[in-house]
This record gives sequence, structure tokens and C-alpha cells, in this order.
Amino acid sequence: MSSTLKIEGLRVEVAGKEVLRGFDLEMSSGEVHVIMGPNGSGKSTLAHAIAGHPGYKVLDGSVRIDGVELLELSATERARHGLLLALQQPLEVPGVRPIDLLVAAGADAADLRARMHDEARRVELRPEVLDRFVNVDLSGGERKRAEMVQFGILRPKFAVLDEIDSGLDVDALGAVARRLLAATSEWGCGILAITHFRRLLQELTPTMIHVLSAGRVVVTGGPELAEVLERDGYEPFRVSSI
Amino acid sequence: MKIFAESASSFISSRPDTLSRQLAWVGFESAGLPTTSDEVWRYAPLGELDLDRFTLADEPLIAADSAFAAQLCQRAGLVVRIVDGYYVGAGADLEGVSVLSVDSSESLSGEALVRRYESDTFALMNVALAPATTVIRVGAGVNVERPIVVLNVTNGTSSFARTQIVLERGANATVVEYFEGGANALVVPLSEYEIGENAALGLITYQRLAPSAWHVARTTGFLSRDGRLRQAVIGIGGHYNRSRNDAEMLGLGSENELRTTFLGSGSQVHDFRTHQFHKAGRSRCTLLSKGAVADESRSVYTGLIEIEKGAKRTDARQTNHNLLLSPSAHADSVPNLDIRENDVMCAHASSVGPLDELQRWYLESRGVTRGDAERLMIQGFFNEMLTTLPDELAGLVEADVTSVLATVRVVTP
Repeated sequence: MSSTLKIEGLRVEVAGKEVLRGFDLEMSSGEVHVIMGPNGSGKSTLAHAIAGHPGYKVLDGSVRIDGVELLELSATERARHGLLLALQQPLEVPGVRPIDLLVAAGADAADLRARMHDEARRVELRPEVLDRFVNVDLSGGERKRAEMVQFGILRPKFAVLDEIDSGLDVDALGAVARRLLAATSEWGCGILAITHFRRLLQELTPTMIHVLSAGRVVVTGGPELAEVLERDGYEPFRVSSI
Repeated sequence: MKIFAESASSFISSRPDTLSRQLAWVGFESAGLPTTSDEVWRYAPLGELDLDRFTLADEPLIAADSAFAAQLCQRAGLVVRIVDGYYVGAGADLEGVSVLSVDSSESLSGEALVRRYESDTFALMNVALAPATTVIRVGAGVNVERPIVVLNVTNGTSSFARTQIVLERGANATVVEYFEGGANALVVPLSEYEIGENAALGLITYQRLAPSAWHVARTTGFLSRDGRLRQAVIGIGGHYNRSRNDAEMLGLGSENELRTTFLGSGSQVHDFRTHQFHKAGRSRCTLLSKGAVADESRSVYTGLIEIEKGAKRTDARQTNHNLLLSPSAHADSVPNLDIRENDVMCAHASSVGPLDELQRWYLESRGVTRGDAERLMIQGFFNEMLTTLPDELAGLVEADVTSVLATVRVVTP
């Protein structure tokens, strides 16, 4: 069954400043969308606001999965409706083990450890790392891959990946990208990847690319847009924030 | 204080060492109960303490073990039973370990008990009123593989248990003291631990008394050269739970690790006092206190690290973290240092605050409910404190602590 993620007119304030100023996007199951843009264009704000981070205030707009308004739901309910955010810097939760997190998040407990280890191997993560507390004593790259284990177990309808490429070396990025692409066919996962590096575009084959500047999508296009960005950078798309 | 005093007087005259007991009782009576104007008793609800609710038992009231106690005993190498302060027997013999009930008025420090505890009125009560001293002795070089469980049950209205654990040179043992019962009772245990040269004692005190109990405990470790005392104190029960845990590093290279943990709920007061006294060089202490307070409960942690002149290259660290689970709960932490030697390493850190909002959001954003996220985080907060438990008992105690944590109500400020 195909699902739709539809974001309309999303406006978000952070620390008293409006960072996202009317963001629109629509995507379906199995698609890969990439949001690109320079630092400060609102990319991370989009990711955090969708997932209900307490530091971000939504001023207006709508985020729906199959018509269900996520902005009216708690962070828990958003996740249970099929949304998963992979953070740029996954948070440490001392004292809590990944397996206990996943069981509490609703994962099937049967063979869970074995499935976690399988997922870890797919992204070239040493499975022993999953015996440590959530993201504690992990390198930046290990944290990213540990979140990919959550991804593989929780199987979200839509995954939002904030700067998934940071902290990963080329080989690890390749493994993560292959895992993500496999998910688009395994359960029709929709991938919304946020990045300001073009490197990721070589690994993921995006359905659509959206360029964000000053809190709005300024241009949307197919994979051919990557070549324009490669040649000219963001400068042609930059708009004043005033 | 008529009923209690008469009961005490008749008890004292019935015991063999009446004179030294009378001396302690006179000391207790002339000092009287402390008051909250005394700084170290500031948070104790002493106004509610009516000693006439308690009487002395002429003999222990024996009852069946609780389900939890029975499970603990199954996993023990040796079970030492103490009921209402009386030693009532050990399960079986264990090679190299002796357990005796001794009519002694001597402290392991070599002083008379009445002299050693003359400034502590509750300890004086114990000196006067403990039926005897239960002495657990592990012989030189003996390595006790399975844990010794000291089952300390209060069925009457008062219990004054006195325990001495002696590890002779090079001995190695793990002892779990488990306290239960104590409904509407006064429970005043006094314990001393003598760690011989190069001996190592792992000690876990798990206090699960009834919520109406008054629990005023004091323990002291005496550590010889290269002796190690690794002590964990977990306080759950009691209306007032006071635990004073001291250690004297008497020998070069001796080491004390102390982890104190508590969970406060209702109107409980948890009152932890520690005094680590470094008398010899190259000695170490690591103090970690972690507790959570919910509802209207409150906690106090006061720790003194004292370093004698000449105790060179001593290393002392004190860390204290408190979790506030309700805006009406309070936690105070007061670390103190008294250092009379320059060549030392000392550090302390302390924090008080609610559950981390971002960590909670992170769990929620994976699909964990708020209640489960809070439960996981509270369990996680305590996880670190349970690492001292011996393998045989870890799962059992963890499950028991988890069952208590599951009942705690979190109120976000």
C-alpha cells in the first residue's frame, strides 16, 4: 500500500527567529527525496520540527502522512504513524540499552537481538556496539550506523535523515546508502535525506532534489539538478532572507 | 519516653553484660534524641518520633521468609539470619567462614563501643540494646566464592542488630545484607567491617523496609594495608531512612569504593552521611551517590572526606547526582573536604535536576511512550549503581528494584 507524506506551508520558529518560512513538499512510498541548501537555510529545523523536538515552535502549516496531521500528535504518536528521524548528532541516553529502547518503541521482541545484529552488519557496524547504552561511547560514525539499526528494525513509512553523511567515511556512507535504497523496495520506505554535501547524491539515486534557501524551497527538480549544483553551487538559487 | 525506657531497662537487666549496657543507656538518656536544630538532623522528621511506640523484644518473632528473601537465600553460599536484632542461625557451614553471636562491648577499632559511639545517640541505643554482636569471620586467605546473605528481618516493633564482619589477611568475600519488615518499627543497625591486609570485601546493603519504618543505620569500615572495601547501599524503604557509611583507611594503599542509592516517594526522607577518613598514604576512596526523589520526598547527602597530615598521594573522589521527579520533591547535597596534606588528589561533582527533556524526546521520537521513556531513563539512572552486585544475585535484585521503579510517578515541572 502506497503512502504519502505531504508538507504544506510549514513555518517554524527557533529561539524567537522564523527559520522555516513556508515549506512545501510531497512524496510517496519508495521515493528518495533530497533536500539541499547552504548552512542556515532551515534544513535541520525542518527535520526537528517534523519530529516534534521541544526546541522548535511550529507557527503554521501542515505535515500529514496519509491525511493524518502529525503536528497535532505527540512525538511518540508521530513515530507510531510511520515517521523516523535520524539525527545529525544522535543523542546519548545513558543507562538505556538499544534493545530495551526498541522493545519499548514497539519492535517485535522475537529474535530481536539477532535482527539487530543483521542490521548492524548491513551498515558495517560491529554488533557489540549495540550492547552499550544508546549512543554512549560511540564515535560519530557509529552513532549514525546505530540509528540505521533502529531504522531497519522499526521500518518507518518515511525516514527523515538529517546530514546522514556527516561523520561517515566513504565506505560507511556507501553501506548506509545501500541500506536505505534497499528499504525503498523492502517495505516501500520513503526517504527524505537532508544534506549540504553533494557527495550523498552519488550514493543515493534521488527521485527529486529540492533546494532550500532562507526557509523556502527555491527550486525542485529531478536528478539532473545535481549536475547544475555540481557546476554552479548554491549561488544561483540563493535568495535574500529579508 | 516511659514505655520504651521501662522496656529497655528490663531488657538491659536481663542481659549478661548489664553494666556496659547501662553505661550506654545513661549516655543515650543524658544526650537525649537529637533535634532538628542540630544541623546533621535538620531534615529528620524527629517531631514524629515517639519512642513509646516501640518496645524491646525478649526473643525474636520468627516468621516465614518473604518470597524475595527466599529467592535470595537460594542463591547464597551461606545465609545468616538475624531477626529483631537476634542472630537466629546460619543455614549451613561454609569452609573458612565462622558465624558467632558474641556478647561483646568492644568495637573492631579496639575501643569500647560506648566510647567509640559516645556522640551518636542512636548508636548508643544500639550499644545498650542489641541482643549481642553477630560476628562473621572469614579466615586468612579464604576466597568465599558464593555470596554470604545476611537476612535482617524486623518482625517486632524494634530491632537493634549489631554486626561485625571480619576478613582476615588476604581473604575475599561478598556479603549481601538484606533488610525487610519493620512495619511501624524502629530499626537501628550498627555494623563494623574489618578488612585485613590485602583482603577484599564486596558488600551490598539492600534496604527494603516497610514504608512506616524508622531506619537509622551506621556502618564503619576499618581498612588495613592494601585492603579493599567495595560497598553499595541501596535504600528504598522506611519513612525515615538514615544511612551513615564511614570508612577509615588505616593502611597504606587501602581503598574504599562506596555507592549509595536511594529512591524517595511519598513523604519519605532519605538521609545519607558519609565520612571517609584517610589516615594512611596512597589510600583511595571513590564515592558515588545517585538517587531519585518523587512526590513530596526529600533527600540529603552529606559527605566528608578527611585526609590526615602525612597521608600522601591519597586520591579521593566524590560524585553526587540527584534526579527530581516532582516539583514538590527536594534533594540537597553537601560535599565537604578536610585536608591536612598537600600531596593529594581530590575532586567532587554534584548535580540536581529533572529527567533530561531532550533524552526523553529522543526516545519518544523512536515511538516510545512518555511513560515508558521516563521509566527507561529512571532505570538507566540506577543501572550504574547495581553493577556491584554479584552475578548470582544481580538479576534478582535488578528485577526487584525495577518493580519498585515502575510504581514511581513522574510529574514534570
